[in-house]
Amino acid sequence: MEENKGADPKLIVAVQMTSIGVILIILGVAVFLLSPLDPAVNPRMTSYIRMCSIISNATITLLGVAFAVGGLIRHHEIAKKKQ
Amino acid sequence: MPSDLIIIGIYLALMFAAGIFFSRNIKSTADYFLAARSAPWFWIMGAVWATNIGFLHGYLAHGGAAYEWGLVQANFEWFQGPFGYILTGLFFIAFYWRAGIFTVPGFLEKRYGSAIRVIYSIGWLIFFIITIAAELYLGGMFLKNIIGLPFWPTVLVLTGVVGTYTLLGGLGAAIMMEFVQFVIMMVGTMPLVFILLNMVGGFEGLTDILLNQWNISPQYFSVLPDNHHPYGPGPWIILGQCFVVTIGWCAGHQSMVQRNLGARSLYDSKLGYIVAGLPKTLGAFLYIVPMLAAPIIFAQRGIFVEKADAAYGKLILNLLPTGMLGLFIAGLTSAGLSSISGVLNSSSTIVIKDIYERFMVKGKPDHHYFVAGRWATFGIIVASLLLVSIVAKSPLIMWLEQTLLAILLGPFMAILILAIFWRRTNTPGSLIGYLTGSAFAIYYQQVLGQRVFFKISWWSFVVALVVTVVASLLTKRPKPEKVEGLTWESDFHAKVGAITEQRAENNGTKVTQLPDIKITMPPWHLNLKYWATGILIVQLVLLFFFG
Repeated sequence: MEENKGADPKLIVAVQMTSIGVILIILGVAVFLLSPLDPAVNPRMTSYIRMCSIISNATITLLGVAFAVGGLIRHHEIAKKKQ
Repeated sequence: MPSDLIIIGIYLALMFAAGIFFSRNIKSTADYFLAARSAPWFWIMGAVWATNIGFLHGYLAHGGAAYEWGLVQANFEWFQGPFGYILTGLFFIAFYWRAGIFTVPGFLEKRYGSAIRVIYSIGWLIFFIITIAAELYLGGMFLKNIIGLPFWPTVLVLTGVVGTYTLLGGLGAAIMMEFVQFVIMMVGTMPLVFILLNMVGGFEGLTDILLNQWNISPQYFSVLPDNHHPYGPGPWIILGQCFVVTIGWCAGHQSMVQRNLGARSLYDSKLGYIVAGLPKTLGAFLYIVPMLAAPIIFAQRGIFVEKADAAYGKLILNLLPTGMLGLFIAGLTSAGLSSISGVLNSSSTIVIKDIYERFMVKGKPDHHYFVAGRWATFGIIVASLLLVSIVAKSPLIMWLEQTLLAILLGPFMAILILAIFWRRTNTPGSLIGYLTGSAFAIYYQQVLGQRVFFKISWWSFVVALVVTVVASLLTKRPKPEKVEGLTWESDFHAKVGAITEQRAENNGTKVTQLPDIKITMPPWHLNLKYWATGILIVQLVLLFFFG
């Protein structure tokens, strides 16, 4: 059986990391912008829930940044090797 | 509520776009079915965990069972799940890798011949299609009940999103999305347990209200209750559920195994599987522990819950503020999508590798099977979608799913253990044993009316094991070349043989290192044994306090 020349596994991981990073950043920012932190506007946003919400969103966004940066570094390394 | 809908919409749109973007890199069947064997261990960890959490197995069903029966539901997360991952990672995965297969039925064929491959693949294929239909149905119902979205358009949107990225990007896209879903579930939905425990005065307050004020049985807080417990008798959880169903699920479920075969190395595969025990343990804090506090919150607020499965949805709907609710619904939708994408990709792999390429169209170029894989994925999506309305109406479908699972796991576990650990097991023995075990499972369930699933699994496992051993002993021994490299014993003999040869070359001097294996020690934080031991210690501590 003749084999297709497959994808570069390192490139696959780089694309996956970047995509995961971008999704998490956009989602984290969107949730932050769409959740009013003021209890007058968002009555269920008690101080404890607000703290939990901020920690959770910040973690998602920071993980997104970490993956996006990691993915871009891998892309850069692959491009360097090709040259 | 509009803000929550926007968050869910953004999330689904991002997954759709990322799937299309990723698919440009997929060029061959190895890329499509095994993600170009590229996945590092942390991808495997996230994917294995996320693919195992869905609407059926996760927030809604497991959360509902915890709401009704208590901490016994955490036996999956605090006992058998991590245990199954560790045993599979340490003892089974290496044989799948060595056999160079794409699917579990492919391994069974190498060891036992094609008949068992066909039976096993068709069984799993039917099970997978029903699972996808059930997940889509539950997803549609959940979004309809919680935010009032219309059922069929919602099911079509969910199918469109998950179908597109799985169809175009294959396993690589599925793993990528499963990791996103892993983060959203783990980080996005974890705050609920803290919010609820804060409301009821911590775990101490929770136990005080339920045990002292409400006079609930202490068994409500036991992971392994006594033998008379109607939902989860402890001894049967250990025997049937842990040693047969869970290990069979971890080592025999194509979705679980396929993620491991997509790893960049055997070591990453093993490590990813073992480390997945950690999020599995934490999973109890996402949907089990919060549901223990749920009855108190419902009583305080006068909320009536008609069905246990609806409890999680009602809880977040009545408790969480705008924005956070949207993230939670995205997290729960993630659970369903990750489960569907895992099963969808595995079904198409079985169709192409175990049926189409093996028996129907042989010897075509790789590109042919790659394109056929996409068509197979499309066909399975359509078949599952057509089944959604039947799943909603007919209890027969869910009966078929449960029966198939009992047949697939108990007898399978028997022939898999014998395949690897007993060289003498042969093709006729395994076939007779597998069929007898399956027939017994159906008889025990349908004729004798046994409803406790893990009792069916345990006894069908025992029957299949005994019959396979007897039938193998009564028939011819398998040829040594047929089992070479596929059994524990042949692996051991190969190593001993290599040492003996080396000793002869060294004039009898003792050799301490295997000649054909380069041993490079991983850094301590990636050491399999440390992770396995650490996770087992966590399980023991949890069982000590909640056993």
